[in-house]
Amino acid sequence: MIQIQNVSKQYVLSKKQQKELRTHDTSFFAVNNVSFTCTPGRVFSLLGPNGAGKTTLLRMISTILSPTSGDIFVSETNIKDSPELVRSKIGFLTGTTNLYDRLTSEEIVKYFADLHGMDKEKFKIRKELLFDQLNIHEFSKKRIGQLSIGMKQKVSIARSMIHDPGVVIFDEPTAGLDVITAHNIIELIKQCKQEGKTIIFSTHIMSEVDLLCDDLAIINRGDLIYNDTMENFRTHSSPQSLTEAFIQIVKKNSTIPVA
Amino acid sequence: MKIIYTVLKKELKDTLRDKRTLISAIVLPALIIPLLMFGVTRLQMSLMNKEENKQLKIALIGIPEIIKKQFEDDNFNLYYNFNLETGKEAISNDSLDAVLEFHPDFLLNINQMKSGNLNLYYKSTNLLLYNRISGKIDILRSQVLNDRTKQLKISTEAFTPIIISKVDIASPKEQIGKMVGGFLPYIFIIFCFMGCMYPAIDLITGEKEKGTMETLLTVPASRFKILIGKMAAISLVGLSAALMTIFGMVIGLKFLPDIPKDFLDSISEILSIKFIIMLFAMLLPLSVFFSGLLSAIVIRTQSFKEAQSIVTPLTFVIIIPAAIALIPGVELNWQTVWIPILNIALATKEIIAGTIVTGQYITIVSSLILLALVAAYVSFKQFSKESMVLK
Repeated sequence: MIQIQNVSKQYVLSKKQQKELRTHDTSFFAVNNVSFTCTPGRVFSLLGPNGAGKTTLLRMISTILSPTSGDIFVSETNIKDSPELVRSKIGFLTGTTNLYDRLTSEEIVKYFADLHGMDKEKFKIRKELLFDQLNIHEFSKKRIGQLSIGMKQKVSIARSMIHDPGVVIFDEPTAGLDVITAHNIIELIKQCKQEGKTIIFSTHIMSEVDLLCDDLAIINRGDLIYNDTMENFRTHSSPQSLTEAFIQIVKKNSTIPVA
Repeated sequence: MKIIYTVLKKELKDTLRDKRTLISAIVLPALIIPLLMFGVTRLQMSLMNKEENKQLKIALIGIPEIIKKQFEDDNFNLYYNFNLETGKEAISNDSLDAVLEFHPDFLLNINQMKSGNLNLYYKSTNLLLYNRISGKIDILRSQVLNDRTKQLKISTEAFTPIIISKVDIASPKEQIGKMVGGFLPYIFIIFCFMGCMYPAIDLITGEKEKGTMETLLTVPASRFKILIGKMAAISLVGLSAALMTIFGMVIGLKFLPDIPKDFLDSISEILSIKFIIMLFAMLLPLSVFFSGLLSAIVIRTQSFKEAQSIVTPLTFVIIIPAAIALIPGVELNWQTVWIPILNIALATKEIIAGTIVTGQYITIVSSLILLALVAAYVSFKQFSKESMVLK
């Protein structure tokens, strides 16, 4: 379970940033007083336009960033108290296949397993399972630099799931990927849901939301402007399409025009 | 410790598969240094030989008949039909190497036991020319001197009232220490820095640029341990580069032609276990210092190119104190022991010469350890900042 309680992230603006953003404010809230809960066995989708604060929020959940105020609990552990314990419970995956080009798939997965403190036996079983599911065996000895984007994304999945996390964070996991690779991610999210994991993912793609989502939140310019179940969102948006409903909610809560 | 070891192992594997690092840390110091030494020595020898055997075109103006024979030489082409103006012009356009102009009273003065004057016109860029011509004049001078002593019936010793016999007490080790002791640290300090440079950029800025830093920060390991693992890998590569430089120089000396056996024996004596341990004890904190310094700098950059453009000029900052150690008269004392890099360079000279003062050596090693710890701390402070680790 992930519980977000009145979480804010405030950044101090330098003079240069003030000039770029055309503001006199000396600080801004990337995330402003946001609260919601993600429950196990359900897929929680985080929606919002570019720069809304989705990535900042996901980075705070994964303890890469610290909240300025508020609390985040991951499996009942406050991220401020035990960030390392929290990190041992989460898997983090983004759409950008960020891997080490000079290492092989096997070496990368082993590296992350070691960093998670997995013992040899558990690693072997888990690796075999993931490599079988994702068909990694055939290229497991090849260096990452020689692999296609689809292959790299499979390795990224194996890397983030090797320690069998109870909470999985996906930050725009299908962005920029081809249809087949994106499909693998969708299947992975479905599988995580079946396994009863807590899943939070941010996306722009409404068809993915429609397909996977159980609960959703929309944030815009750091503020939480919508939080409900997918069922209620569908009812609320009818007869409009989900995309139209999303745009309407954002427009209603925005001081700047939304395309 | 397990996390640090895991990060270190991965970073070393990753780094050693990087061609740039391999070239700067292993290939360059181990191969290029001996090749450079061999090549430069060969080139120097060949140039010297060429200059020594070069056929010199010399115009002799006003030379007395009686001494013409003195200048006859298979390697000299002598000309007697130049005047001073045409001679100087010929030197300017390189059709003549030198003009030797004898004063009209040259022979008269010699015979009257006065000084015979002559002028030598040449280009100073014409290497060895002066030595070769003055060699001929020296023969003439000693002949005149002999004639005069006979004439005056006095011994030649009358003209050498004092004879100094130089007795060098310095051991070959000391001589080598002063001779190459300054040059050796100059090279290995630079290579140690260069060895640290590429891994630092690759393992820190590279990870930020590729986006792998973000995923690395989601593992249950503290940033401190991740940084220490990375710094250890950077330091080890820097240390290897420095040691490979020394290894390369030793190999170079072994295969260099015309190196006296005594010199080589002294080199073998210098490369004792004690010397290696003492050098290693200074190099280890130095490489950690470089690693911490570079990590703290490159973490602030967003791309490999940006990091490279900031870090490369730093090489010159490192070179300066190392080069100061080459200046004659700059010695290790209680003031210079506190100047980083310069102290290592000076201490290496003293270690080679066998004249290192234990207290000064301990001070240097301690100050380097302290410096390394400060650099690591500064680096950790930077690494702890959210704005620094994320792109």
